[in-house]
Amino acid sequence: MALIDYANPTRFLGLVEKLLPWLGALAALLIAVGLGLVFGIAPDDYQQGATVKIMFIHVPAAWLSMFGYSIMAASSLGTLIWRHPLADVSAKAAAPVGAAFTFVCLVTGSLWGKPMWGTWWEWDARLTSVLVLFIMYLGLIALWQTLEDPIKAGRAAAVLTLVGIVNIPIIKFSVDWWNTLHQPASVFRLGGPTIHPSMLWPLLVTALGFTVLFVTLHLMAMRNEILRRRIRTLRMLQASAVAG
Amino acid sequence: MTRKQRRLTMIGTAGAVLALAAGLIFWALSDSVAFFNSPSDVMAKRLPPEQRIRLGGLVKEGSVVRGEGTTVRFEITDKAVSIPVTYTGILPDLFREGQGVVAEGRMTGEGSFRADHVLAKHDENYMPKEVADSLKAQGHWQGDKGAGAPK
Amino acid sequence: MSPIGALFVRELRLATRVGGGALMGALFFLIVVTVYPFGVGPDLNLLARIGPAILWIGALLATLLSLDRLFQADRDDGTLDLILMGEEPLELVVLVKCAAHWVATGLPLVLISPLLALFMNMEPIAIGSTMLTLAVGTPALTFIGAIGAGLTVTLRRGGLLLAILVLPLTVPILIFGVAAANAPVLQPAPFLTPFLLLSALTLFSAVIGPIAAAAALRFTSD
Repeated sequence: MALIDYANPTRFLGLVEKLLPWLGALAALLIAVGLGLVFGIAPDDYQQGATVKIMFIHVPAAWLSMFGYSIMAASSLGTLIWRHPLADVSAKAAAPVGAAFTFVCLVTGSLWGKPMWGTWWEWDARLTSVLVLFIMYLGLIALWQTLEDPIKAGRAAAVLTLVGIVNIPIIKFSVDWWNTLHQPASVFRLGGPTIHPSMLWPLLVTALGFTVLFVTLHLMAMRNEILRRRIRTLRMLQASAVAG
Repeated sequence: MTRKQRRLTMIGTAGAVLALAAGLIFWALSDSVAFFNSPSDVMAKRLPPEQRIRLGGLVKEGSVVRGEGTTVRFEITDKAVSIPVTYTGILPDLFREGQGVVAEGRMTGEGSFRADHVLAKHDENYMPKEVADSLKAQGHWQGDKGAGAPK
Repeated sequence: MSPIGALFVRELRLATRVGGGALMGALFFLIVVTVYPFGVGPDLNLLARIGPAILWIGALLATLLSLDRLFQADRDDGTLDLILMGEEPLELVVLVKCAAHWVATGLPLVLISPLLALFMNMEPIAIGSTMLTLAVGTPALTFIGAIGAGLTVTLRRGGLLLAILVLPLTVPILIFGVAAANAPVLQPAPFLTPFLLLSALTLFSAVIGPIAAAAALRFTSD
């Protein structure tokens, strides 16, 4: 089945309704197992002690904050180039979910930073660029809220999303390009992860669980957006019928 | 000019401007933008005392002396130069000898540094305590060496 | 005169005639900078230290607030539709409009910045570096702001949304602009590195800004 087959919203909704229970259950299972591993199996860090547990929430949230923006950027290409009818629905639905994960990333990072670094917040390149990402999510949501016509809003947001994509490599590589307070990458780096396997596996399971949760929430938000648009169209038809 | 020529000229100009911008960035990157200064930088530049700076490096082994109250004296080193630091306040959990730290404050006249804020820099290594101990015991220990040291 | 030259002259005339609002930006800049000492207290040493940052933030806000009319007046009187249908590439038209807008509103900011720097008790060398960085950096603010102006052109009151959308994108310009402006005062800090990065950002935005703003105008037009 090609992606274009699901351009039909009804067919897409049918698929989503079938998938959602399974995805939700899988997310719950993975997160439960992941948290079990984190609190039951994973040892305390030799330096950080038990505070290292925050990392198991913080790191997946950080990955997904960038993953969410990448979904929006890919959807924006779909909106502007291929004019796929569901692309702007996907972009609009990803924004609040991505913003929520970015918020979780910032809050957990702050909670970790206070005992470890000695500060809630520091204006270094990594922290600043993630904050900029959060504000861009909010700005895009504001743009969707302001423009009434969903088609126009989708295109305007797509242009802005594509301009904002420059921030993603800046976030990823900020720790390598600048002398940041934030530590360099531990998992996705040349030369292999620098996390001991006893902590890496719980992290990967939790991250996978969070990713499935993200996809579930994203599909739910897409479904809601399609239904919302249908209601809008019905209301307009109704209004024009009354007026005519 | 035909339409096609004009479009090509525009694309060519845009490409040239982007290339110029990229060139400027590479020129600029030869001098890194730092979150903090290393002790060698600080000594080389001879800063005026009123100037606020961030001093980053490793806490020198065996240099931490707890004074009265919460006052602490230690030395920040980059393996070439070390600068004595005094700080009054609560240190972060990660602060220990050999660990990377960033201190904010001012140089005093006598070549020492008075910090009003100390941040601990964490490295990218995560491992259980037993593993760290056994690595140290086997002599394979490489941790701490890069943490916070200026690149 | 070529169409592009004619457009530039038209934009300048429109901006500088009565009701064009070219000097409003400079006036706003003056007011913002004057308000700071009331907020932070008349501590001349403190003002001298944060002076470049104040001038930069003032210039940023003044530029953004003057940008919401960049395409809106043309949309109101139908010129925008003519431009969209016209022969000239839309990206080029946007570039020229940005250039004219900068000459009318950005350049006055740069020119009055030394005067405001004196209010801030800044040293001569800091005044020079601030003026230089503003001259190099404010065009980038105009180019990036044009994207926001293109996105919000259909809105009646798009000014606030424009600022919300554009401000995050201007963070790097502010960082490197203030870093370079501060460098002569904060001795160990290098001037050339942030200044080169600022110049590179201006060049980048001169390409990206018009392309994205033209795309926004095309996609949101009826």
